[in-house]
Amino acid sequence: MMPLPLIRRESALIEFTDVGLRYGEGPEILKDLSFRVEPGTFHFLTGPSGSGKTSLLRLLLLSLKPTRGRITMFGQDVSRLDRDRLLQMRRHIGIVFQEFRLLDHLTTFENVALPLRVLGQPEADYRSNVEELLTWVGLGTRMDAHPPLLSGGEKQRAAIARAVIARPELLLADEPTGNVDPDLSERLVHLFAELNRSGTTIILATHELPLLDKFDYPRMVLNGGRVAIHD
Amino acid sequence: MIELLSRRRNRAAPIVPARSVAGRTLLLLIAIMTFLSAVTLGGVVLVQKSAIAWSADVGREVTIQIRPVEGEVMDSNLRTAVSLAEATPGVASARALSLDENRKLIEPWLGTGLDLSAIDVPRLVVVELSDPADADIAKLAEDLKAVKGASLDTHAAWRQQLNTMAGTIVVSGLLVLALIVVATVLAVIFATRGTMASNREIVDVLHFIGASNSFIAGEFQGRFLAIGLRGGVIGGLCAILFFFIVGAAVGNVAPEAAGAQLGVFFGRFALGIDGIIGIAAMIPVIAAMTAITSRLTVRRFLTQIS
Repeated sequence: MMPLPLIRRESALIEFTDVGLRYGEGPEILKDLSFRVEPGTFHFLTGPSGSGKTSLLRLLLLSLKPTRGRITMFGQDVSRLDRDRLLQMRRHIGIVFQEFRLLDHLTTFENVALPLRVLGQPEADYRSNVEELLTWVGLGTRMDAHPPLLSGGEKQRAAIARAVIARPELLLADEPTGNVDPDLSERLVHLFAELNRSGTTIILATHELPLLDKFDYPRMVLNGGRVAIHD
Repeated sequence: MIELLSRRRNRAAPIVPARSVAGRTLLLLIAIMTFLSAVTLGGVVLVQKSAIAWSADVGREVTIQIRPVEGEVMDSNLRTAVSLAEATPGVASARALSLDENRKLIEPWLGTGLDLSAIDVPRLVVVELSDPADADIAKLAEDLKAVKGASLDTHAAWRQQLNTMAGTIVVSGLLVLALIVVATVLAVIFATRGTMASNREIVDVLHFIGASNSFIAGEFQGRFLAIGLRGGVIGGLCAILFFFIVGAAVGNVAPEAAGAQLGVFFGRFALGIDGIIGIAAMIPVIAAMTAITSRLTVRRFLTQIS
């Protein structure tokens, strides 16, 4: 993956300063958000339904622009980036959704390899990496299966593999345990923890408090559009 | 088995699946549009070729008409007119039509079995020009003033009318062709929009994993290019087959008189190699037009949603 230009490694990976967000003429969903996320950390993002978790993740994924305030990611003010630079920055961010969002007509292998295919890499270059990653997430024998034939847990592990195959520096997960049973939820969080230990910064949004209690990671709590960080 | 799986993985499935594009309907539509375009183009080519041939044929001939004048001897006037014509530069030959030929000419109006010796009818001298451009028609007209009752018909008015009619048909055909092209473009735009709406999930996923709009547009464009090519080939081949069947029907099925009449209008009803090349050239044009239209529509759609 191409390195981001002008990145200042000594700075925070993410820095929000007085960020506000509203949709159209509606009320402000996120208010005065100011926080920093250091590289290599793991944060839970939590809060009641409708508190703005998904909106915050969309800001972090660069698919929304804040109504006010400043967002700095990878050392750059995102409001100053043109479309090409935003696209380049987005390639350093992985995303995992609650509803998996795998493409049903592609095999598990092809789904996971998609980010590399989009980057124009030939399959011969990435095949062994994809196979290795799928084996690591426990899908070594399901590479040629299509998503409709996978269980919920298998789909989510495939989605996670797809999110990290291009080695993103930041991994966002929006309720990744929402469609799996509690036991599997815990195993999935362990998988995220493994990725975090390999250096990936992780922000995992969930409203499952029992799950949060099992892990000792800082929590970003959204409530009424404002955020509080509990270490 | 492992090798087989490995080989299969070498050929990654298309990101935009073939079945997700409204392919069959669009394929049929493009095939029909190509067929209509090709038939229109072929018709225009036939009319234009025939008009040029008619005009050239008529232009190589002028007619001297000699009306009966009291006190004048018709046969003598005919001989004089023929001599004057033959002496004119650019004239290949001149020949007076016989009474029998005259009778055949006026048979449609006056019926058969007519005795022309009892009626004074104008006589005609057919003058073939060796080179219409160099023939001194003005001199011939001047010389014929010496023959009482003689007048010269260069068929200029008829040729003018013929050219006007052929031009009108060609312009109308090109207008129809343009309308078909516009209708095809609109159909492709609607089909592309429908496809993009029904494939929104694929577009979103590609966006999330960092695909550029250009990459996404390229994936969809490939599908539409393939549909455009297939539709173009089907429509073009059907059009060529159509002209072949109509040409054979005119030659074999139509009654002799009707066939001859159609032959007069459209020659042998054959497109010729240039007509076939013209129709074949439409196929890549239709395919490219489909691909470009879909690409622009996809880019616009992606710009709107991003």
